[in-house]
Amino acid sequence: MVTRRHFLQTSAIVSLSPWIPMFLSRSIAAPNSTRDGRILVVVQLDGGNDGLNTVIPFGDENYARHRPTLKIAASKVRKLDKTIGLHPQMKGAAKLFEAGRLAIVQGVGYPNPNRSHFESMSIWQHGRLDPARHDGIGWLGRAADGWHRPGSSVSDSVFVGPEAIPVALRGTRANAISMDSDSDLQLSSPATRHRGSANSDDVSNYVGRTLDRTYEAARRFNESQTSIPVDTPYPGTELANHLKLVSRLIKMDGGTRVFYVSQSGYDTHSAQAEQHGRLLGGFSAAIEAFLNDLRQARLDDRVVVMAFSEFGRRVQENASGGTDHGAAAPMFIAGKPVHGGLINAHPSLVDLDAGDLKMSVDFRQVYETILTDWLGLNSVSILGKKFAPLKLFA
Amino acid sequence: MSHWLPYHPTSDAPWNMGRVVHLHRRVIFGACWSEIERDLASDPQTAVTRVLDGSARQERVPADFEQIAEAIGSSAADSGDVARLQAWWLYRCLNTSDPLRERLALMWHNHFATSNLKVNDLRLMKQQNEILRKHALDRFGDLFREVAHNPALLIWLDAPSNRAGQANENLARESMELFALGVGHFTEKDVKEAARALTGWNVRGDTFVAIPEMHDAGVKTILDRTGTWSGDDLLRILLEQPALSRRLAWRLTNEFFAENVVSEAALSEFARGLAEHQLDIRWGVETILRSELFFSSANLGTRVNDPVSFVLMPLRAFELSNNPPSTLVLADYVGRMGQELFCPPNVGGWSGGRAWLSTRAVVARANYAEALVEGRLSSPVRPIDPTKVVGHRAAASSVTNMIRATSELLFGESHDAVVRSVAEGVGTQPSTGRALRNALVELLRQPEAQLH
Repeated sequence: MVTRRHFLQTSAIVSLSPWIPMFLSRSIAAPNSTRDGRILVVVQLDGGNDGLNTVIPFGDENYARHRPTLKIAASKVRKLDKTIGLHPQMKGAAKLFEAGRLAIVQGVGYPNPNRSHFESMSIWQHGRLDPARHDGIGWLGRAADGWHRPGSSVSDSVFVGPEAIPVALRGTRANAISMDSDSDLQLSSPATRHRGSANSDDVSNYVGRTLDRTYEAARRFNESQTSIPVDTPYPGTELANHLKLVSRLIKMDGGTRVFYVSQSGYDTHSAQAEQHGRLLGGFSAAIEAFLNDLRQARLDDRVVVMAFSEFGRRVQENASGGTDHGAAAPMFIAGKPVHGGLINAHPSLVDLDAGDLKMSVDFRQVYETILTDWLGLNSVSILGKKFAPLKLFA
Repeated sequence: MSHWLPYHPTSDAPWNMGRVVHLHRRVIFGACWSEIERDLASDPQTAVTRVLDGSARQERVPADFEQIAEAIGSSAADSGDVARLQAWWLYRCLNTSDPLRERLALMWHNHFATSNLKVNDLRLMKQQNEILRKHALDRFGDLFREVAHNPALLIWLDAPSNRAGQANENLARESMELFALGVGHFTEKDVKEAARALTGWNVRGDTFVAIPEMHDAGVKTILDRTGTWSGDDLLRILLEQPALSRRLAWRLTNEFFAENVVSEAALSEFARGLAEHQLDIRWGVETILRSELFFSSANLGTRVNDPVSFVLMPLRAFELSNNPPSTLVLADYVGRMGQELFCPPNVGGWSGGRAWLSTRAVVARANYAEALVEGRLSSPVRPIDPTKVVGHRAAASSVTNMIRATSELLFGESHDAVVRSVAEGVGTQPSTGRALRNALVELLRQPEAQLH
């Protein structure tokens, strides 16, 4: 079978493709295994997503009892099976589910849940439960440390957003960068491609090549804003803009294997209904647009999206039309390579842990599966031990 | 010291503009015409002496520099805005009479790479920074001891959670791996034992404390030495390790030499010299800067410059320090180029070298070049007058002459190929001022500008 890379490297059509320069640029350092072409995009739902109103057990009478004002009527839920459905705003996610491109892992958490945003996020990002071992090096940073080549200018991971690079991406050696917008790749005026290097010295040649490549890539990146027709429109949200940039970077193929974005606002202590619906709608639509875009570019077999939040929320709604910090919640794994469907049973609404849903899948099992089955890495050096994998990939 | 003979000009390696500019760019963020001409007229060892004793910059140093810098620095630290503390450091680099000390403080920031993202206290970050500056040229032991007894590093490496019976190995591990010995010169067992020795080191307010109740007073064996070691004992043991002089030799040569210039034999000899001189950093830096090797052709213009050097070099060359751009804007560019001061990417610091040239960083460098020349770094916008840049040196009668003269000012030489390439890039422009400014932008976007 002719792989996409092989096709691009050999085809005469190469010169017409707007993202070729960066693609070719990595040919020296390009890993040979096709598995190295695989990409993970992490979406962090910041603030603690109310999983119970995201993946809804509408068939369970206890649901309505705990959520007198926040409950979503069974008639409005986007049904995934006879008892479980998605929030009505999650049209895009429902379509992905139908197409078998979305796996929803229910009841994800970790033992002795921590209900502090900071500490729980730290646990998820470090991939470690013990706060004493939260050393500022994250699970994906450790993963990237493993594949990082010393002296390489390839960004092992890219955080797209205005904030600092999240702990999850920080490694001891790995090269993580952050970008906020397209403007980070916009030249203020066209840069001239200069001579072939007059000096035969290695470093000088390297710099000359790198500048040429970058100026060319930036030029084409900017051109691509108009020259690549976006057949799949993106919504106007910040998350969608960030994912659009991720898509562009993937198309430019600079060798980055992990991208990370976040969507904030999930800390819905009061007047939750409208805000939560808007957030979920935005999340769902952005993911759908992103995956459609990649499908159009025939890159969808290389990309998997993983979405998580630092915790779910209390089962019983509070007196302010909101919900307080809870524990277990669903995770989303989306993309063409994903084995779609509901994974693991919805947590019981009766057998609670201090008012919170009990976890039955450790989030590190999801990490394990992604690291091993998707990125092809040795998870033990990253997670400290082997976790029972899930069936997430086709 | 057969590999470290002092440099004396020869016909093969003359004391010329290329070597004068090399000294200034590689070590102290560049030079202006008058400094280049002064050094060209004297001899290399005298020029190096000026760098070492803080008299290389004679002009344009504010008389009350230290007071102004301190006012900027303390208000930046109080503000909690890391950009302002970054701007403070760039102000120091640009205006101090002793730029070598700032260059070395940058190097030590990379060695003891500590990030405010975790420390989250700019006063502590500034406190550490001042230690790096104060001891920049002292014995390494003085520097290491004081940095290790200072809150920023302790918080960064989790010393407060390292207690008897509940070890956190972070500080112990990085002290061995990164600060002192390097991989391969210690075992996992040494790390565990060293962590026990460090138990009880903690932070109260903004000062170091050793808390006896949290300290594991038992017997430890670290690097084959057995005793009831404390944290101070650990530092003493580390400072006595032969591997340390090698690590330090690597750090210093890595800062001042291009790839593959320093041979294995030269590095070993340098490490022995450092050991014989009690790890005296000043001895090490002086030995490097005075050496034949430092001025050898292979070391000229062959190292990718760090963002701080890239940003400051044209400011010094174009003598803009009297009419300075906003240091906050400079700090923003330096960050975009990948050198977020006070926020190194991880405890290993910045990889440096070729890794500086990420896609985003190269775009930022190209945009900085234009912003600088078009005067967008200051408010109100004040485009550079290209005739003034080289006005008294070369008649800017033509674009080509101006490119040639500016290239010599910036890079110490002008290759015909560079001049041609820039001239072609500029093309024929209706306005001379615009054409000259475009030529300056193109020059700063050349490979030569990314190297020093």
